[in-house]
Amino acid sequence: MTNIAIVNSEAHKTLRVQAGPSARYGDAQRYVAVVVSEFPLLAVHYPILFSKDSDTGAFYCGTMLGFDAGENLFLEEGKAPETYRPLNLQRGPFYTAGSDLAIDLDNPRVEAAGNGQALFNEAGQPTPYLDSIIAVIRELQRGNEQTKIFIETLMKLKLIVAVNIGVSFDDGTKRDLTGLYTIDQEALRCVPDAAALDLFRRGYLYLIYLMIASLKQMPLLVTRKNRRILQGTEGLGGGLGAT
Amino acid sequence: MQSVVIVGGGTAGWLTAGVIAARHQARIQAGLFSVTLVESPNVPIIGVGEGTWPTMRATLEKMGVTETEFFRHCDAAFKQGARFAKWTHDSPEDGYYHPLMLPQGFTQINLAPHWLGTRSDRSFSDYVCPQGPLCDQGLAPKMITTPEYQAVANYAYHLDAGKFAPFLQKHCSEKLGVRHVLADVSRVTQTEQGDIKSVITQQAGEIEGDLFVDCTGFGALLLGKTLGVGFKDCTDILFCDTALAVQIPYDTPDAPMASHTISTGQSAGWIWDIGLPTRRGIGHVYSSRHCSEEAAYETLRRYIGPAHRDRSIRKIKFRGGHREIFWKHNCVAVGLAAGFLEPLESSAIVLVELSAKLIAEQMPANREVMDIVAARFNEVGAYRWGRIIDFLKLHYVLTQRTDSKFWLDNVDPVTVPDRLKNLLRLWKYQSPWFFDEFDRLEEVFPAASYQYVLYGMGFRTEVTPEDNAATQARATRLVTENAAMTRKLLSQLPKNRELLRKIYDYGLQPI
Repeated sequence: MTNIAIVNSEAHKTLRVQAGPSARYGDAQRYVAVVVSEFPLLAVHYPILFSKDSDTGAFYCGTMLGFDAGENLFLEEGKAPETYRPLNLQRGPFYTAGSDLAIDLDNPRVEAAGNGQALFNEAGQPTPYLDSIIAVIRELQRGNEQTKIFIETLMKLKLIVAVNIGVSFDDGTKRDLTGLYTIDQEALRCVPDAAALDLFRRGYLYLIYLMIASLKQMPLLVTRKNRRILQGTEGLGGGLGAT
Repeated sequence: MQSVVIVGGGTAGWLTAGVIAARHQARIQAGLFSVTLVESPNVPIIGVGEGTWPTMRATLEKMGVTETEFFRHCDAAFKQGARFAKWTHDSPEDGYYHPLMLPQGFTQINLAPHWLGTRSDRSFSDYVCPQGPLCDQGLAPKMITTPEYQAVANYAYHLDAGKFAPFLQKHCSEKLGVRHVLADVSRVTQTEQGDIKSVITQQAGEIEGDLFVDCTGFGALLLGKTLGVGFKDCTDILFCDTALAVQIPYDTPDAPMASHTISTGQSAGWIWDIGLPTRRGIGHVYSSRHCSEEAAYETLRRYIGPAHRDRSIRKIKFRGGHREIFWKHNCVAVGLAAGFLEPLESSAIVLVELSAKLIAEQMPANREVMDIVAARFNEVGAYRWGRIIDFLKLHYVLTQRTDSKFWLDNVDPVTVPDRLKNLLRLWKYQSPWFFDEFDRLEEVFPAASYQYVLYGMGFRTEVTPEDNAATQARATRLVTENAAMTRKLLSQLPKNRELLRKIYDYGLQPI
């Protein structure tokens, strides 16, 4: 259930929010929607791909954090994140309602008291945390629009292509990742000069190459998964040893 | 060959124009080739056939039509096959599916003898393919994330023919460079050799062409009236000659809609029931030799129920059969001008597509070689019409109904073509599959269709366990896989109407 309310310094004066990354609070996601302004920060850690919204079929950009449902291989409980945290995870329980900032009061991150981040200080002024959230939400709003236009441009040039990624892990299991799309490099080479120049001037060529390069993160993601598998087995081995 | 002139602008005319123009687009743009469609501003189109075959997907895609636009403008919907009710017995529980998906593993293994061998309670179609249960649940054959023209479960369309022709006209004129002339043909001129030289129109003068396509409907102005090609009647085999058509609105705009054609046997014919997004199209096809007009109206009214008693019903007389040949001199007939059969298996539009494709692909380079292409076209045409007549008759000849003279007459051996008689004799001992005779490159009804109808209607082919021994393990696996696939699709696919609404709102992606 959601219980959305417009953020208000009176009503939410004492409200606190658990802002840090935690599986309990919704960071355990294998695939998170992202916007183009994040690409440089994402590409050095994660694969960036396209996929389709299951409700509308519309393309969006997403970044891969894991392979199985609920698996974020970059999440280490109780530790500060070592890698960039996508805006859609940073935003936590916050949304936009028109031009207003809104909060889902039923979100598990939201608490009446505790050690979470306050939204307002004693004087009723926004805290640096709330300011950062406002910046995140603005960035997402602007970014969603930019990302939509970026995708439309690529679709017109037929630069998006379905990609089937098959990976295998050290425990012998395999995953076939479906419903993912990437840049069609063959088509990219055939783009007419005028269109190529336009892609460059609009900064899209940069985004395109970031997406292509980010695919090289896939084997590293597999390595991370294998490390988890190994840790799991060691834990099991240790447990068996103790009995 | 530089100019093709199509006379008549219904579904047949515009589909033919689109298929030819798309295939020869580069030559059209270079000014080396032209497609002209002459259409009367006064003659209404018959708009026959609201069901297509899955081939329509490739046809539209090749023409450069987006599937989303097609759905939005033609009142189109998904069709996953047909359910035939009360064709075998006149009882409420009687019915079987002729789905559009092939039986599992069809290209490698024939599951029919295995189904026959198990004496399973499940129907043949449920045993070998998931589509029947999908239709029972009113599910769509794909998802909003499935790219346009691609299927999760094979599908064709139901559409409003009255909207389809104008939709194609707009696309052909705006995108494919087809010249559209609105004029009434008053006279046809011929060369000394008998070729058609031109059509003289009231509004646009004389229009000359190298190849003329006759899409003038039942009248067959060019091939029939001008060139004197005769008509081959087949009402001795297929008795129906009249249709009473009516349109019924849904009770509410979001009422569930079937994703298959429902065909229900009546005492002197059958009733089609086709779900479009905004209405149902229903029609009673019957034999006027077996049923009075009054009784036929009453049968239809009983089907649509008392709430719709006063809806206007349109009566269409037709003569089942086809031209003796389809291409003579420099004139080829497509659509109703070539022939018409009762719309039992949606053969009308698929024949237009296949004919248009053959003309487009085999477009004669010059007049000299045209007769060679014409001879081929006629040979293929005769084969196709013959096979369709056989296949339609198959639905009747397997009936066990004895409640009226119509059904009794239908099983009279003198009304069954020899070829079909022989096949039925053969199929008592071997089921239709590959190595049967349906091996043409573009067979209208593949062996799978014969299997669905035969075994749907209770026909038995003799099988012994020894026949199946060699392929038993593989067959068992495929049947298990089919059951798993059926469960998976039932849980994944959206309702038919829900997907259509999403297509209106969001569109389908091209990839």
